[in-house]
Amino acid sequence: MLFVWREALIGLRRNLTMSIAMVITTAISLGLLGAGLLAVRTIDRTEDLYYSLIAVQVALDEPTSADDPDCSGAACTDLRRDLEANPLVRSVDYESRDAAFARFQRIYAGQSILQLVRPQSLPATLRVTMADPLRGEEIVQQYSGRPGVRNVVDQRSTVADLFSFLGNVRNATFVLAIVQAVAALLLISNTIQLSAYTRRTEVGIMRLVGATRWYTQVPFLIEAVVTGVVGAVLATAGLVAAKIVFLDRLLSGRLLANTIPPIGMSDVLGDVGPVLVVVGAVIATATGYVTLRLYVRT
Amino acid sequence: MIRLENVSKVYPTSTRPALDDVTVDVERGEFVFLIGPSGSGKSTLLRLLLREDVPSTGTVWVANWNVGRLASRRVPRLRQRMGCVFQDFRLLPNKTVAENIAFALEVIGKPRHTIRTVVPEVLDMVDLGGKADRMPSELSGGEAQRVAIARAFVNRPLVLLADEPTGNLDPETATGITTLLERINRTGTTVLMATHDRQIVDSMRRRVVELSGGKLARDDHRGVYGASR
Repeated sequence: MLFVWREALIGLRRNLTMSIAMVITTAISLGLLGAGLLAVRTIDRTEDLYYSLIAVQVALDEPTSADDPDCSGAACTDLRRDLEANPLVRSVDYESRDAAFARFQRIYAGQSILQLVRPQSLPATLRVTMADPLRGEEIVQQYSGRPGVRNVVDQRSTVADLFSFLGNVRNATFVLAIVQAVAALLLISNTIQLSAYTRRTEVGIMRLVGATRWYTQVPFLIEAVVTGVVGAVLATAGLVAAKIVFLDRLLSGRLLANTIPPIGMSDVLGDVGPVLVVVGAVIATATGYVTLRLYVRT
Repeated sequence: MIRLENVSKVYPTSTRPALDDVTVDVERGEFVFLIGPSGSGKSTLLRLLLREDVPSTGTVWVANWNVGRLASRRVPRLRQRMGCVFQDFRLLPNKTVAENIAFALEVIGKPRHTIRTVVPEVLDMVDLGGKADRMPSELSGGEAQRVAIARAFVNRPLVLLADEPTGNLDPETATGITTLLERINRTGTTVLMATHDRQIVDSMRRRVVELSGGKLARDDHRGVYGASR
C-alpha cells in the first residue's frame, strides 16, 4: 500500500501546475457549494426568526376602531371568538388604536413621519398568530370583507421579498458551483488521462510483471482524491476567511443587523466543511474511476 | 507446461495470419529456442502466452490455464507465475535495481521482510550484488538485462519467456545472458527463448522450434539454427 501512495505523490508532483489548477478549480467549486449551503441555512434561520414574529393582522374598520377601544362590541367580539376557534390560529391579541399609536411612536421616535400620523390614521387590529405561519393567506381570504373588518394583511408577504432575495443568492451560488464543478471534473479527468499517458510505459511494465489493473490505477485515484480533499479544505478556509472579513461585518452592520442572523464559525467548520470534504472526495473518486474505465486501457 | 493446439492468430489489419495453425508442446523444465526471421510469428506467439493477445482460433495452455479464455481479471495471476524478459529490458526507469526486482514481489503481496532477503539473493545470483542502488540508466546493456532476468526469476516462475534477450548485446555479453538463462532452467523453470542469434543456438544444442511465415517449420530436439542454410 505504501507503493501506491508514493506513486500518487510522484504523479501529483510531476504535473505540478496541473495539480495546482485542479486544486484551485475544485476549491472554487466547493467554496461556492459551501456558500450555497450556508445561504440555505441562513434562509432557514431567517425564516424561523421571522415566522415567530410575523402574524396576520386583521385591521378593524373606522367605526369599530373609533368606538370600541377595548373590543367589547359585537363586531369585534364576534371576530375575535371566531378567530380563536379557527384551527389555523394559535392565538389572537387585540391592539386598540391608542396602543397602536403608542407603538408607532416608539418605533419611529424622533423621525419626521411622526408629525404626519395621528391616532385616527391607525386602525385597531386583531393580531393573529398562526399555528402554521405559511397558511396566513387562508385567513386573509376567510376574513376579508367581514363586518367590522377594514382589511386583512398577511405580514409574511411583506418579508417575501427578503426571502426571495436570499433564495436567489442561494440559487445563483449553486448554479455557479455546478458550472465550476464541471470545469473541475474535466480538469481532474484530463489530468488523470495525462498522468496515465505519461506513465503508460511504466504501467505496461507493471502489468507484465503481474500487477493487477487495480494496483496500477489506484495511484491515479489517490491523486484525484487528494485533489478533492485539498480543494475542500481550501474551500472551507476560504469560507472562514469570507465570514471573518466580509460577512460578519455585513450582517452585524446597520443595514442587516437583526434582519439576517449571523453565520457562526460552527456552521462553517462543523457543518459545511465536512460536507465539502466528503463531496470533494466522492466526486473526485467518481471522476477518477470513470476516467480510468473509459479512457485508460492499460 | 506450454501447449499450443492448432493456434492461429490473424490481426484485424492484416490478411495474412501472424500464426497459422501452430501446434507445439513444451514439457516442464525444457529449454526451447524459438527461431525464425522477423515477422515469422515469434513475438505473436509470446504475446499469446502472456495473454497480451488472444488467439483467433486454437487453444493456448500454460500450466493449467487456458490462456486465451482466461478472464481478464485473472490475467495478473497468470503473469505472476511467468517471467518475461525483453530485448529492451523494460526496467522501471525511476526505480533502482533493487526496487525494480522488489516490485515483482510487491505486486504479488510478498511481505516486506521476505522482499528484503530475497532481492539481495537474486541479485547475487545474477552477479549484480554491488549494484542494488543503481538506477537502470547507469547500467550497461548486459547488466540491465541481468536485472530484468532477476526480476523475471525472483518469483520462481513456472515459465520464463525471453524475447530476443540478447538482441541488443555484444556476443560475449549475449553468451553470459544465455548461460544465466540456462542456470535458471536447471532450477526447473521452463525457458522459452525467441532469438535470432545463430551462434548461441548452435552452441547450446537445445530444442529448436522454428517458425516461418506463421507456420511451424521445424521442431528439432538438440537442434541448430539453420540446418537448411
